[in-house]
Amino acid sequence: MRHRKALLLVFTAAAACLLLAPAAPASALEIGSTAPDFQLTTLDGKPISLADATHTHKAVAVIFIATKCPYSNAYNTRMKDLAAAYEKQGVLFVGINSNKTEPEEEARAHARQHEHTFPIAKDPGNKVADLYDAKRTPEVFLVAPDGKVKYHGRIDDNSEDASKVTSPDLKNALDALLAGKPIQNAQTKAFGCTIKRV
Amino acid sequence: MHDQARLSGHGRFVLAALVVLRAAGVGPSASGSPSSISGELDSAGLRELLAAQKGRVVLVNFWATWCVPCREEFPDLVRLQRDLAPRGLRVLGISTDFTGQTAAVESFLTSTKPNFDNYRKKSGDDQAFIETVDRVWGGELPFSVLYGRDGRKVRVFSGRHPYEQYRAEIVKLLSEGNRQTGDARSPRS
Repeated sequence: MRHRKALLLVFTAAAACLLLAPAAPASALEIGSTAPDFQLTTLDGKPISLADATHTHKAVAVIFIATKCPYSNAYNTRMKDLAAAYEKQGVLFVGINSNKTEPEEEARAHARQHEHTFPIAKDPGNKVADLYDAKRTPEVFLVAPDGKVKYHGRIDDNSEDASKVTSPDLKNALDALLAGKPIQNAQTKAFGCTIKRV
Repeated sequence: MHDQARLSGHGRFVLAALVVLRAAGVGPSASGSPSSISGELDSAGLRELLAAQKGRVVLVNFWATWCVPCREEFPDLVRLQRDLAPRGLRVLGISTDFTGQTAAVESFLTSTKPNFDNYRKKSGDDQAFIETVDRVWGGELPFSVLYGRDGRKVRVFSGRHPYEQYRAEIVKLLSEGNRQTGDARSPRS
């Protein structure tokens, strides 16, 4: 009898824990949280890690990209231009392709075709996408030298037409971060294709 | 001077009536056939289109020509419209293809000959458009939203779903009235 009571207590406590457990956050990476480190190999065959990149740069823009997604492709020129413009200010852009449907050779050809000079890496098994809880392409995580996420979301507010952008969110975030000012709009909604996970 | 401004009072009434009937799905499409794009929609246009549907159960499907699951799902939407329109359903398609893909959209509609109207999302206005459709929507396709007869959003479907699932949800709504908002998710583009 005593044994049954103890068992009942254990079950009750377990049920209470389940009920009281906080709901999972909408995004695993909140603004101000530490960006998980990753080690990948770029399409050029060079190793790249977030820890190394943040130690040597004033900011690192990690962008989940794709080769086949029209939303991501709409930003090819904008990503290239932003990466080139901010490289001079000590910012590194890192493209990560986590799509299982887009093999490395395809990603390499795509990068060549669109003249992407910033490092791009395949993310085998979408492990980095999982670590970041990245869901879409394009989706940006801007990381400061202290390893904290300072901006998360879209590149800007008009995927289709760069000439009609009214809110260049990533650029604004980069400018604020480099100037040591608070980022006004640190969290925006990334709109694009879903990452094709394994 | 615009043509509309030259219309008589009677002419303006007739034009307004035609616009309302058109938005409500009565009468021919603006283009004359659902096999072409019925128009472009921004967030305000989408709200107006939805407002004009009150009294019907509406399934709005967002798709794109480059989205394989969307193309695969399209015949099911045609079937839903065919089977359930007599009971009060209206299917509406909204292509999210970019302006440069308009020819591909037209070609797709010509080849599939849908029995429901299809619009194209207007360039820009992304955030407002998302908010109008559903806050949880992040651009994945296909994405469908089911509205009750009173215009209330009842359910969202992220990704492709089987015909039977859509049908069951819609039939329940047609026969029982509106239900609480829920969502259903599955692999998507």
